[in-house]
Amino acid sequence: MEEKEKKLIAYLENLPRLQIYEDFAARVMEEIERKNRFILRVKRLVVVPLAGFFLALMLLTNLPTAPRFEISSYLGYRRIELVFYAPSQNPKTVAVAGDFSDWNYLSMDKIRENCWKITIRLRPGKYQYGFLVDGKEWVPDPNAPRQIADGFGNLNSVLVVDGVDGE
Amino acid sequence: MSLWQDDREIIRAILQGRKELFSLLVQRYEDRIFNYIYYLVKQRQEAEDLAQTTFVKVFFALRQYNHTYEFSTWLYSVARNVCLDYFRKRKKQEMDLSLNVSVNGDQDTEMGELLEEDHSPDPLKVVLDAELQEKLRIAIEGLPVKLREVIVLRHLEGRSYEEIAEITRLPVGTVKSYLHRARKKLKEDLRGYVE
Repeated sequence: MEEKEKKLIAYLENLPRLQIYEDFAARVMEEIERKNRFILRVKRLVVVPLAGFFLALMLLTNLPTAPRFEISSYLGYRRIELVFYAPSQNPKTVAVAGDFSDWNYLSMDKIRENCWKITIRLRPGKYQYGFLVDGKEWVPDPNAPRQIADGFGNLNSVLVVDGVDGE
Repeated sequence: MSLWQDDREIIRAILQGRKELFSLLVQRYEDRIFNYIYYLVKQRQEAEDLAQTTFVKVFFALRQYNHTYEFSTWLYSVARNVCLDYFRKRKKQEMDLSLNVSVNGDQDTEMGELLEEDHSPDPLKVVLDAELQEKLRIAIEGLPVKLREVIVLRHLEGRSYEEIAEITRLPVGTVKSYLHRARKKLKEDLRGYVE
């Protein structure tokens, strides 16, 4: 480094620093405190009334106050228990078929006299189904709230699994 | 080692609720930040106000401080942004409008004519007399703002090239180039003293 440059750098590095006024730090802390008080006031004036408004909304209306996520319709199956009860007959076999099984028959378990049960896993949705008693008689579910004509002169029961249609 | 020697320890304590400790950081860096800002804006009163704004901003942004960097480097960056805002607001002369203006214009304040006599003091003594101090300050203030910034950060504040690059968001090569040009200009302006 040339001599002139060294000299200049020495000058620069030894140039006395300007000093800020004595109570600068105290003034900064005062300013911070003032801003803090302002923020608190804003919170009281804005946040508290807003919280009250939403609380009133929750209590006085039936509007949803939080988003509802129907996760089950995207992720999971529901366990559905179908029960066939035949008080006036004593069938040897009972099976169920529906669009959930592509109309293949699924054998049901006899759990007591005249009572047959099957547990199936279904995604939320609407399904048609019926019972086949002793391999020959097509019987709609007497417990189903809704039945629908199958177009061949018989009735199918309608099963709604919660999560999509909300029926 | 004193408990509060490390900036990061102080910041940790502040974030845990001991807000009064921030005054330690202010006292530690107030003169350095004030000098840096002063040489950018060249007005004492404005520099004092901007220094205060800088520290208040830093206090409220303390949670954003990345502990992998030196606190002082971050502090200079905040000060620089405060100055940029100031320049934007003031819409002063084109030179001071923005730190992003070109530094190619060499029609800056010429100090050379004032310094023709050789007043060169003993460089080993490097106690600058009042006249030389004044000339030096005027010469620094006469530099384009980009060059002024790097010369202050490097030689008055003792920051490394890498730190200056971080603060100014310039490549290290550009920082070195600006420094070279700034020193060249200062040597010209102070030629009576650095012969």
